[in-house]
Amino acid sequence: MNPRRLWTLLVREARATWRNPFTMTILVAVPLAALLVFGFVLSTEVERLPLGVHDASGTASSRRLVAELAAKGTFVPRAFATREGLDHALVAGQISAAVVIPPDFDRRLREAAAGGAPAEIQVLYDGGETVLAGNSEAFLRTLALSTVAELSSGARAQAMGGPAAPSHVSPSGAAGPASGGVRVVTRALFNPKLDGSRFMVSGTFGFVLSFLTALITAVSIVSERLSGTFEQLQVTPATSLEILLGKILPLGAVFAADVVLMVLAAGFLLGVWPEGSVVFFVIVSSFYVLTSLSLGLLISATSATAAEAVQKTVLFSIPLVQLSGFAFPIRNMPAPFRWLAELFPATHYIRVSRAIYLRGEGPLSLLPELSLLAFFTLILVGVALRSIEGRE
Amino acid sequence: MRGRLQSFLSNVLAVAYKEAVVMRHDRAFIGMVLAQPIMMLMLFGFALTNEPRNVPWVVLDRSQTAVSRRFLEDVFVTGYFERARAVGSYEEGRARLGRGQAIAFVVVPEDFGRKVLRGGPEVQVLVDGSDPLTSARIAAYIGEVASRFDPERGGARLARVAAPEIGAGEAAPLEIRQRFEFNPTLRDRVFFIAALAGMLLTNLCLSASSLGLVGERENGTYEQMLALPTSPLEIVLGKLLPYAGVAYLVLTLATLLAGITFGIWPKGSWLALYLVTLPFVLASLTIGVFVSAFARTTAQAVFITVFFILPSFVLSGTMFPYQLMPDGVRQIGGLLPLRWYQIALRRIIERGAGLEEVAIPLVALSAIFLVLLTAVRRLVKPRLG
Repeated sequence: MNPRRLWTLLVREARATWRNPFTMTILVAVPLAALLVFGFVLSTEVERLPLGVHDASGTASSRRLVAELAAKGTFVPRAFATREGLDHALVAGQISAAVVIPPDFDRRLREAAAGGAPAEIQVLYDGGETVLAGNSEAFLRTLALSTVAELSSGARAQAMGGPAAPSHVSPSGAAGPASGGVRVVTRALFNPKLDGSRFMVSGTFGFVLSFLTALITAVSIVSERLSGTFEQLQVTPATSLEILLGKILPLGAVFAADVVLMVLAAGFLLGVWPEGSVVFFVIVSSFYVLTSLSLGLLISATSATAAEAVQKTVLFSIPLVQLSGFAFPIRNMPAPFRWLAELFPATHYIRVSRAIYLRGEGPLSLLPELSLLAFFTLILVGVALRSIEGRE
Repeated sequence: MRGRLQSFLSNVLAVAYKEAVVMRHDRAFIGMVLAQPIMMLMLFGFALTNEPRNVPWVVLDRSQTAVSRRFLEDVFVTGYFERARAVGSYEEGRARLGRGQAIAFVVVPEDFGRKVLRGGPEVQVLVDGSDPLTSARIAAYIGEVASRFDPERGGARLARVAAPEIGAGEAAPLEIRQRFEFNPTLRDRVFFIAALAGMLLTNLCLSASSLGLVGERENGTYEQMLALPTSPLEIVLGKLLPYAGVAYLVLTLATLLAGITFGIWPKGSWLALYLVTLPFVLASLTIGVFVSAFARTTAQAVFITVFFILPSFVLSGTMFPYQLMPDGVRQIGGLLPLRWYQIALRRIIERGAGLEEVAIPLVALSAIFLVLLTAVRRLVKPRLG
């Protein structure tokens, strides 16, 4: 290895990358676009959801219930005169949830206040939208229960001859007359508002650094081979290792710069900064870039054309991205898929990235994951080097 | 006039015939068409889900009574959790959450046993909020167990219901009878597989048309075809026609596979399904033509295609509900054909909609296609090399 030769190769590669407007655009635009797209899409907050209402009761209390559901902007009620109309709107997707209030609602409510069986309402959700249905259920249940508790306390006061207490609000969390049941005080740590953007941003690093890095590396090497410049380099005194390093190091530097760019963009545009050390995160990520670079090398070694390299990378990346826990927790998968996921370096990198970003973990507690990552990197770099040498 | 139309049609068909012959001999393409539906079906049918499972949790039981142990056992038998690990102190539980070794930490206070008898028992639950979907659901499962917990009897066994609800567990004067229509157990599988055809056809149409056109230009065969008495429009249409056919093949294959393996058959009309697919396929193919106009090489074409496809999966609502996305992001997604197609697919496949209910997506898709077509006719000029 001759440092001067290597330096020449490095400068040459940096210039070539810099002069290619398409690659430069991809290198800047894709990470930013991925951050913005993924950072915004995962939300659990239900807002202005169309809610069908079939109020067969039509009394003051039923209207009050509907008004409370609409009050905080969570639901936008739409009245339906018939049950058929409601069902039809649910099928047509015009409403995502529906409330049916039976004719005897008011009477049953008064009976319940006097110690009878509880009043009933029926709620229908569009179960096809699983996440939406699950979340709106939480909001609707809380709102309905607190409103009815308030209504019935008013009714109870009236039944006892005293004045109604309209201002008395009893949120669903407050302890009521407990007839069985345990009160749960829940607190969400690390992300009290259950905001999805932190989770997605920390995963996006894994997505971009796995996918884009392998893609760019593979295409860059295959194109060079196709245009014949790779062979030209091989007839110079440079060894194949030097050529390879000359190719890879500038790319690695570019992606390390991408990591910094993404950290800054996530911080300033989305307000998501890592809980842990930024320096530690950038170091780990730059190291992970090496893994993806080797993967790109491997793909380039087995592809005849640039298009083939891209297609291979894409095909390989679909299960990689889906199974690495980027969007769907690995924990939820059945056993064979879980084992498979553990074999992807991306899985371990995303785990580390989330640990640093979300929980602020440091190098010590992440040692097992980090050493696994290093192990994968060593294997991949070794195999990639060998595959390149084999081609000569 | 009639003669011109006739020659137009015969030219288009001639190019289509040539393209179909080429396609039939392209092993990689046939492999992709057949293998991709199976791969995606396996992933979304078996592997990928937001339903929590194997959730690690830790417990600090300060009460150490039979009734507190029964409560914790009730949480475990919901089936979402692993066996709970006991921790010795509050700090240790917090530390385990911090290291990601547990997602939930349940604290049973010392007076739990006494309060069960006197009323107002309470437990504290700390969840790791970093994955909002998981933590919301876990908190809900524990809340549901708690609200049904009856210390007198053996404790209520909770059936597999999804009821995200944080806090609450009060005997209210209201009973909410609820039902998740079209998907009673809230399986994520239904959500993904209903929109599977949308993902497959986006992949197919975009890459087929962009790669096909750029490849032709790269090989110089586009130039050869221009030398024939065919116009650029005829070439483009002729090249895309067979892909529209393949798209329908993939749609049928994916729908049958989903039905056979997971029992998810379209509940609505097949006619509506096939009809609404047409403007979607045409629009997607046209986007591919757009890409081909910008890309110089096949590699660039794949690049642009891939980085168009991925965000469109996300923004369209195929993977996450678009209804929950913030304003602005939601509207941008509305410009994507896949948004409207997945809306139509869900209506037809899950909810049994007919033609009437998918009229709006159908109109939206047709409008998107027409706008794209007008733009493409201006953009695609005979361009060489």
